[in-house]
Amino acid sequence: MKPEDVKVCVIRIEGTNCEDEMAGAFEMVGAKAEKVHLKQLLGQAPADMRRSLEDYDILAFPGGFSAGDYVRAGAIFAARIKAGIGSDLKRFIEEGKPVLGVCNGFQILVELGLLPAMEGTMSEVPTAALYNNDSGRFECRPTVLRNDNRGKCIFTSGIKSKQMLSIPSAHAEGKLMSMDPDFVQKLEDNDQIVFRYVCPDGSDAVYPWNPNGSPSDIAGICNPAGNVLGMMPHPERVMTRYTHADWTRNPGPAEGDGYRIFSSVIESLTRN
Amino acid sequence: MAGLMVKRDVPFELYDVDILSADDEQLKGISSDMSLSLSLEEMRNIQEYFRKEGRNPTDVELQSLGQAWSEHCCYKSSKPILKEFVFGIDREDVLSKGDAGVMLFDDDYGYALRIESHNHPSAIEPYGGAATGIGGILRDVVCMGAQPIGLADPLCFGPIDKEVDLPQGIKSPRYLVNGVVSGIRDYGNRVGIPTITGGFFFDEKYTGNCLVNVACLGIVKRKDLANNFAGGPGEVMILIGGRTGRDGIHGVNFASTDLTSTSDEDSRGAVQLGDPITKEPVMHACFEVNAKHLITGMKDLGGGGLSCVVGEMALDAGCGADVDLEKVPLKEPGLAPWEIWVSESQERMMCTCKPENVEKVLEIFEMWDVLATPIARTTDLKRTRLFWNGEPIFDMDLEFLTGGPVYERPYILPETSSRSKEEFPELPGDKEVILSLLSDLNVASKEWAIRQYDHEVRAGTVVHPLVGEMNMAGPGDASVLMPVPGRFKGLAAAIGCNPWFTEADPYKGGKACIDETCRNLVAVGAKPNAFTDCLNFGNPEKPERLGEFREAVRGLGEIARELGIPIPSGNVSLYNEAPGGHHILPTPMILGCGLIDDVRKAVTADFKKAGSCVFLFGFTKDEMGGSLLFRKYGGKEGAVPDVDIPVLKRLMDELLQAMDEGIVLSCHDCSDGGLAVAIAEMCISGRVGAEIDLSGILMEDYRKKLYSESNSRWIVEVDGMNVTRFTEILGNDATLLGITKGDELRIKDVGISVPVLEMIEAWNSPMWKIMGGGAQ
Repeated sequence: MKPEDVKVCVIRIEGTNCEDEMAGAFEMVGAKAEKVHLKQLLGQAPADMRRSLEDYDILAFPGGFSAGDYVRAGAIFAARIKAGIGSDLKRFIEEGKPVLGVCNGFQILVELGLLPAMEGTMSEVPTAALYNNDSGRFECRPTVLRNDNRGKCIFTSGIKSKQMLSIPSAHAEGKLMSMDPDFVQKLEDNDQIVFRYVCPDGSDAVYPWNPNGSPSDIAGICNPAGNVLGMMPHPERVMTRYTHADWTRNPGPAEGDGYRIFSSVIESLTRN
Repeated sequence: MAGLMVKRDVPFELYDVDILSADDEQLKGISSDMSLSLSLEEMRNIQEYFRKEGRNPTDVELQSLGQAWSEHCCYKSSKPILKEFVFGIDREDVLSKGDAGVMLFDDDYGYALRIESHNHPSAIEPYGGAATGIGGILRDVVCMGAQPIGLADPLCFGPIDKEVDLPQGIKSPRYLVNGVVSGIRDYGNRVGIPTITGGFFFDEKYTGNCLVNVACLGIVKRKDLANNFAGGPGEVMILIGGRTGRDGIHGVNFASTDLTSTSDEDSRGAVQLGDPITKEPVMHACFEVNAKHLITGMKDLGGGGLSCVVGEMALDAGCGADVDLEKVPLKEPGLAPWEIWVSESQERMMCTCKPENVEKVLEIFEMWDVLATPIARTTDLKRTRLFWNGEPIFDMDLEFLTGGPVYERPYILPETSSRSKEEFPELPGDKEVILSLLSDLNVASKEWAIRQYDHEVRAGTVVHPLVGEMNMAGPGDASVLMPVPGRFKGLAAAIGCNPWFTEADPYKGGKACIDETCRNLVAVGAKPNAFTDCLNFGNPEKPERLGEFREAVRGLGEIARELGIPIPSGNVSLYNEAPGGHHILPTPMILGCGLIDDVRKAVTADFKKAGSCVFLFGFTKDEMGGSLLFRKYGGKEGAVPDVDIPVLKRLMDELLQAMDEGIVLSCHDCSDGGLAVAIAEMCISGRVGAEIDLSGILMEDYRKKLYSESNSRWIVEVDGMNVTRFTEILGNDATLLGITKGDELRIKDVGISVPVLEMIEAWNSPMWKIMGGGAQ
């Protein structure tokens, strides 16, 4: 498979609003990305616009405020998907195809039970949730992430262990919580922790470097199989260095810190 | 006036109004009872028109005239002045002057810009008022066929750092700040358009009447640039988006009168309700029908609702329109025809298309789950006619309806602040002065608001509103976007406004607003390309207020014309007065756009390192009038900073040349607080000190060197190895002040030193302390 043969479905409903840059990010690493409305997958569209999930190689859930997030972030979108294409989606993941959720997309994956999904591909009910930030406010600010994955996650396969990436956050609900007291330890044991917030010098994050108060500074997790990644920060916003908040202060390569996340997954798919 | 209103014998609510037999008192009574806000003279004109028509008007017709002839819709007081001074600055790269202005961006794209006010609704209901302000300005850009790419929100409030006397019925500034910022945040973030710049202006004169100005930028392929009118007769008008309800009735009339102590109760219904999650698919669907060239025109429903949009879309195409009003989808049953006709319910657009394309258009809206309903047809008769299930309820000549009155109202030229009467205030020690200016809310960090706005969504923000070290950043001058993915051509946006200069000398103030806008744009390396202006002033029926308006407009028109920079869109907001006749500061809010060929050459305001040279670029004069120093310490009068336009032009060219050659490390304009605050801010964002000497500035009083707010000045940081080339380009226009060094701002010749950490604290904390929370 060549990069241009990789077909990416960037799924959206009303209120999804980061689909352009999400599709753009996959295009920048050579893949073919298509923005697809959920209705097109549900058969609720004119014949020439209907799409089938199985025709794609990657599924991406962009950020935004799907359906306004007036219930709980991501809950409405997740409910519509589960009712309509739940089994297609499960099959997609069980075939090992990569799924990425960023920000609201991460919230949707959690609501769908696709993350953390410690038992099985898709839990019946959500086993975690993304709570309101400790500050009680929407926080749009630079954050620094450390790749803490030990090799399972397909999206960090091209990124060195413990490498730090500057990837911005913009959300009001990003604190990953679970009822399970051993939640973090289990994620750690399963190698499901992908990104942690850190301070720019690499030390443990304190606010605002951990912008939401997430326990153990968790910014992104994957499923036990490593092909589903959810993260609060926005890698698609830093595909070039010129959109980093402080680029005029630092010399650096033209590539932005988000680039490797997208190129990693394309490289994995095209290597096989 | 009950006797003059005759209910027609139809199964819905319709009144014929007996205007033909009414005397002057009764005409006034009709205007006030129906909340038309029309003067006696205007009512007499209307009487005369219907006398010629040989019949009495319906309530729908009178309501429609009340909308169309409001100050908000027809600019009846401001138009002659705008015509004299600002209209007609044309350039061949102006692509459209529609609902938003559109300028050439590159060979393939144009960019759209527009600013407008949402002052009165926000004073009553800050959250909803600000949110719907964003909604409205987005629609203005969308109906050009342009994808919105950036929002800007300059805001003016009463002081939030001290107790103020609130006129009856007026809400506290802190409550308003919180509500307005939340409204902008929730609407802007949800709809996914970054809020990239703005401003906060605090002054007691805004206590009774806050200002909420909202601006939007967009990008459009030149081949998709849309018209805001029909293609000709025989087309179908399709109403898109939200349903119509009783929210937002008489919004334009409310905007065209002073606020009163009972505005809250009387006019709550004039504030619309916003819904960003309806807006978002409306935008997608509109772009799709436009890009497929299935429609001939589109226009947003703003002030006046259907009553304005139908007539304007038809008349601008030389047509008329027949409307089946009963087809308009409603939020609730039982609205009277006149309410449907003038409602300003949000999230609605109108498009026109050829009859053969109606089905295809409707199919696309259906796909996006957006309501779309054909409600009217264009005709070759220049009249608007309304029907309710076939019953004619409205039939008016469009030129009369949209013509509206124009007034040459009397004005008095204001007395201006002068140097001869200047009283220089007593000052504490300079360190205290500098820290106190930095912590003045008109200077201090606005991070509390900025970080609540998503300023990076769409992934095109190159220069952010806060610049410097991550999460410890200082103030920027302009934000820069990369509007077209994959291209490095940049669009910069900056706000410029100095209401204190404008109050002290409206003519010079008008010029200064444009100068500041240009300074901000040039500071990031962008060449100023176009302006959009929101002119917020008081009651034009008061000659003093109109005199301020006239002089300010004269100033900004003069400088824009001499610079050759067009103003392809704008907005006028008059009647900004609180109960008791308290008027606002005259506030000409400018949003400027600049172009930068390669964003990789953009410059930010943070000092980059220790050991580089610091220059003052431009000329410092004895111009203390309206300055922050005088306001803070009780100075009086003084000359208001003027602009030497040819010098401004030369300085901009030189600085842009140096930036293009890549030899400017950082650059920041001198504005509030003068040179002292500008350098301090660069130390704050760069986390490095500076050691400077003022003796190169030729003036007696060092305090004037530090705090005068003369226009057309920048502070520039240059690496030592590039100084020779830099001074070749800038010649005698640049004065070497010193170097970046250490962890203090030291002004050697006058023995001032202020630690950077103290400046950071002074600048950073005030708004957090007042509004709650904390970050750094």
